[in-house]
Amino acid sequence: MGSSIQKAIALILSADRELLNILGATARVSLTSSVIALLIGVPFGIALGACRFRGRGALVVINRTLMGMPPVVCGLLFYMLFSGVGPFRHLKLLFTVKLMIIAQVVLITPIVVGNMETYVAALAPSLRETARGLGFGRGKRFLLLVNECVYPIFSVYLLAFARAIAEVGAVSMVGGAIAWKTNVMTTAIMQYTNRGNFTLGIALGLILMALSLLVNVALSLLQRRLSR
Amino acid sequence: MRIAAFTKTYKGRLVLNMPETTLADGKITAVIGANGSGKSTLARVLSGIETADRKLHPLSGVAVGYMPQKSYAFRMSTERNIALNGGDAARRERLMNALRLQALGKQRAKKLSGGETAKMALARILMGRYELLILDEPTAAMDMESTLAAECLLADYCRESGCTVLLVTHSIQQARRLADEVIFLHKGEPVEQGETSTVLSTPAQPLTRRFLEFYGL
Repeated sequence: MGSSIQKAIALILSADRELLNILGATARVSLTSSVIALLIGVPFGIALGACRFRGRGALVVINRTLMGMPPVVCGLLFYMLFSGVGPFRHLKLLFTVKLMIIAQVVLITPIVVGNMETYVAALAPSLRETARGLGFGRGKRFLLLVNECVYPIFSVYLLAFARAIAEVGAVSMVGGAIAWKTNVMTTAIMQYTNRGNFTLGIALGLILMALSLLVNVALSLLQRRLSR
Repeated sequence: MRIAAFTKTYKGRLVLNMPETTLADGKITAVIGANGSGKSTLARVLSGIETADRKLHPLSGVAVGYMPQKSYAFRMSTERNIALNGGDAARRERLMNALRLQALGKQRAKKLSGGETAKMALARILMGRYELLILDEPTAAMDMESTLAAECLLADYCRESGCTVLLVTHSIQQARRLADEVIFLHKGEPVEQGETSTVLSTPAQPLTRRFLEFYGL
């Protein structure tokens, strides 16, 4: 175990080309999918938390169900839709990074929506009452609500990114873990472990943890600076 | 100011049954009563936060300002929270000085204590111009010194702007100090309304008398 970690560190320091390729694919899939999920999920989550309309309860339940969707089910769904017998086969997206991103967005967006909805639903009544009492119109009330959501957006992004970077089920099914093309860190760790190549597996694991730590620290610092 | 008759029902339970009522224009009317008598519901319906039964609005075409029991401090400085409601810088300064908020102007409003938040919220609502201003226990979280300062500001606001004020309060002493008229609510119905000195010293209704006896009046 100790020698494997030493070898892994040496591999990281040597800037191994395969390792860099896996790292690049991982960054592309995780960052793109988490940002897209944030752009879709935040407005939808705010609207769901702040507005009262017929069918809202049903939408909340559906979203919570989607939050718990197993990644392999999502992967299976996309595999069936885009495989040689699926309705979207002509798009030729199966085993591409693009489809991995789409599958990740579908998995992560409900998490963003759910977290934003919970946060906004808790503060909206009191905020709305005060703002309406002051005679503010809908537009100003909405802007004030968005202003209240700056910190939760940071936390929700962290959550989305963590889910994206650690996800393995869906990306392995729709990406196929093809070396030099769609292999990301999680799928590569599985592959190398199955082959008995623990050194590369541990190296990737270490990078995965370090990346997660880096993103968390960067966003926490930014959040602290904004709160001053 | 005329308030049309209305009722308010929660889950089949009648919580407020208001006949047509008149508020003295440009004066302060205090609403007193025990817990659950419908004081806050009255304030919320008149301010439009809640709708009366059959979606009636008892006040139509009146510019209403409303300060809830627990006012929200927006994520910005105390000064900016107050400035949100318009008004000029001189007036803001005057209100902040009177409520001893000047040292907290640059501080984040979320970090204020309960009493300070109430003072900030009062200064904020007094920056606006309304025909009817409804305040739901605005001084409940304040100390005595701040309460007296807030009462002075409220009386000045009423006199200077000609605004009618409806003040929901638990404090009979506050009603006595500040209000021109009093409405006594009991189980969602106004039992007695009249000049403060008359209602509080020689109440006409036995229910009002019994309520005031609890306060040793």
